[in-house]
Amino acid sequence: MTTMATALQTFLDESRELLSDMELLLLAMESRSGEPELQNALFRCVHTIKGSAGMFGLDHVVDFTHVVENVLDRLRAGEIALSRDLANLLLRCRDHISLLVEVPEPSEAAALQPGGVVLLAGLEPFHSCAGSSHAQTDSTEPVAAEASRKCRIDIRIHADALRHGMDPLGFIRFLGTLGDVAAVRTLEEKLPVLGDMDPETCYLDFEIDLVTSADRIAIENIFELASDLYQIEVQDQCPVTEVDPVAAPLPAQPDTDESVESAAPGAEEQADTSQQNRRRKQVQHFRIQADKLDNLINLVGELVISSAAVSLGAEQSGDTPARESAANLNLLVEAIRDSSLDLRMVPIGETFQRFQRVVRDVASELGKDIELVVTGADTELDKTVVEKIGDPLTHLVRNACDHGVEAPAARSQKGKPTRGRVHLNAYHESGSIIIEVSDDGGGLSRERILAKAMERELVRPDAVLTDQDVFNLIFEPGFSTVEQVTNLSGRGVGMDVVRRNIESLRGTVELVSPGVLGGTTFRIRLPLTLAIIDGFMARVGDATYVVPLEMVVECTELSAEQQLGAEQHYINLRQEVLPLIRLRAHFKLSGELRKRQNIIVVRHGGQKAGLIVDELLGENQTVIKPLGGIFSNLRGLSGSTILGNGQVALILDVPTLIQQVARQEDAANRGFQSHARPRLSAS
Amino acid sequence: MNQPQTSAEDVRIAESSGDQNQYLTFQIGHEMFAVGILHIREIIEYGSLTTVPMMPEFVRGVINLRGSVVPVIDLSARFGRGESTVNRRSCIVILEVEGSTGDEDQLQEVGIIVDAVSEVLEIPPTEIEPAPGFGARIRADFIAGMGKVQGQFVILLNVDQALNTRELAELDSTVDAPRDGYDS
Repeated sequence: MTTMATALQTFLDESRELLSDMELLLLAMESRSGEPELQNALFRCVHTIKGSAGMFGLDHVVDFTHVVENVLDRLRAGEIALSRDLANLLLRCRDHISLLVEVPEPSEAAALQPGGVVLLAGLEPFHSCAGSSHAQTDSTEPVAAEASRKCRIDIRIHADALRHGMDPLGFIRFLGTLGDVAAVRTLEEKLPVLGDMDPETCYLDFEIDLVTSADRIAIENIFELASDLYQIEVQDQCPVTEVDPVAAPLPAQPDTDESVESAAPGAEEQADTSQQNRRRKQVQHFRIQADKLDNLINLVGELVISSAAVSLGAEQSGDTPARESAANLNLLVEAIRDSSLDLRMVPIGETFQRFQRVVRDVASELGKDIELVVTGADTELDKTVVEKIGDPLTHLVRNACDHGVEAPAARSQKGKPTRGRVHLNAYHESGSIIIEVSDDGGGLSRERILAKAMERELVRPDAVLTDQDVFNLIFEPGFSTVEQVTNLSGRGVGMDVVRRNIESLRGTVELVSPGVLGGTTFRIRLPLTLAIIDGFMARVGDATYVVPLEMVVECTELSAEQQLGAEQHYINLRQEVLPLIRLRAHFKLSGELRKRQNIIVVRHGGQKAGLIVDELLGENQTVIKPLGGIFSNLRGLSGSTILGNGQVALILDVPTLIQQVARQEDAANRGFQSHARPRLSAS
Repeated sequence: MNQPQTSAEDVRIAESSGDQNQYLTFQIGHEMFAVGILHIREIIEYGSLTTVPMMPEFVRGVINLRGSVVPVIDLSARFGRGESTVNRRSCIVILEVEGSTGDEDQLQEVGIIVDAVSEVLEIPPTEIEPAPGFGARIRADFIAGMGKVQGQFVILLNVDQALNTRELAELDSTVDAPRDGYDS
């Protein structure tokens, strides 16, 4: 029973994938409708879902997809064209199928019935107008263009097939949907004597003659779900038109494996290569349960810590061979760490593609014409991050469509093309991934935000704010500048949630206006992974701190004359101004200043800063251990790690650290300003 | 990884053998305190503490407890009696308290610094007086009761209150809190 459940899970996974493909294909076809490849791919998606669903006896899925499949079939045959209405309808059908697929029991599907009926009624004109003659029965459904021919399908079934719930009868019945099952021969040479027979074991093999227009792949696909239990050989025979099926040389075929091979070496070879193809496909993709992977990565984390301890021990023992082995071990552990983390890295493209649909739906609801441009789709990031970034991104994209891009009339008034653009972009930058959501709309008005903020009493009337401060106001709870609330956005719930979600991933979000396309740009910065990073260790006082290595640009010594002015908060680094953060002072650590101090030059976004530390300790692999609940409000530290000697080191959160120092300085300056020029308010 | 499991089992065994009347007594400053033994995970030597900057003084730092990072609280500072000074007999007692942050209600490990660990005593409920309204110089909700031991009172700590994670977290914002930066 559990294997059956696994198979069903496979079906679900596969269907979800196919359905998302289907969505993309439909969207792509809107702009490139004529391409037969897209049409065929679309047809295959639905066809496969129908096929797999049939095998599980999910009649509610089969019934519905069957109609959709018919329409798609006519579409690829060129009998109907893909209008916008049809595309809309098919997208809704896709959604319906995805609902149907998730319902495990046909009985529970009844609740979805009304929706399905409406959609089917909508599809009616597309599949019945031209050909009621061939639309109704399954067997005639693979239409026209390809000539029917006869195939011999040789099915060898594993003894466990029945125990795994893969009843051969279901497959044979399902073959009927591809064409006419002309003959079924049961090969019973494996049958034992009655006394030895186990009712749960499958002893039978089959040879089936099928008259069909479907190609070999389509037939093999039916059995794909049970590929480890069913060995399939499909041999094409002559087209039906030329050879009378009854007179086909079937009876002459002997019924054992060996003789089939000798009789048809060519076909065997073909089948062989097709099996090889399938095997190659399996190598390309391998489904793993996510928690197994997480477990592996946890173990790798422990391994990294232990190997650091080993290195330290070897270093201290002074034994050269031991040190060499430890160095070797370290290299390997590093490689293992990288490749196991790599397993969890997925391109962000899949997530981005989902927004094609979001933008399309939102745009049509708002009566706008908006195009979504995606770049950097192959930028990779940790799967755990990808999963959590979907919701905030959806919110930002909807916002860009709703508040960003103007209505067509307003756009043409401003001399812009009526078709608006929303741009999703992703790229790597110093250990982070940057995701940008841009629109080419009117941008944000500083005055309006400020006015609104004062109305909501989020700022005091006499506050002096920079542009960035003002823009950041929109992330405050309950903030919205749009006068009328649409059902998409504008309620002011959301932006604060977006920020919270992103911050919980140790990321940041900022708003830039005018942005990349002239309107606004939201820039999300996220760490690549949440588990293990390369770190750079430094000592301040008694404590060791770790800076994520990707942020480190260089290290340099703080020269004696630079050290003199404790009030000086910047230095001249090769003719560039480098603001300094004195960690000892910032963290209010006690203890004597050392004679020599060092600067770690870090970069976050466009900003460089110098962290002043006592001593540089070099690189290490840092397994991030979150600090517990009581540190949840602590800023400037993103976590902790355990060093080889068992000590706990703290990981610096450079972005918030910079922000903190900037704010402190800002607050000091602002205090001064408001004394000097009271009531110079931002009006 | 299976530590929580074993501990749950320990607790069950402990409960069945009537351990809920057993208390670990220890000294902080000149006063005796006691904590129900079911809250105690282990007692370790004081040492290799990493200070976490920008935290109030009662958070002494974090330690590595077999691979997990555990905060250590100075109860003396928490009770407003100044930082405790570390001596030869100082220990860190690792306790399990309810983690009340967010939606996870699992037990969290927290260490407390004590000046000396005394012994495990049996204090029957009849020997426990309610906390006085004042006089203990400790917030009333931190005290579960006053136990009578050989004519002396020991303060039975309500560790879930005294080490309440959410409250400790809210107390830590000694440095500027960025979110309220605007209206100041």
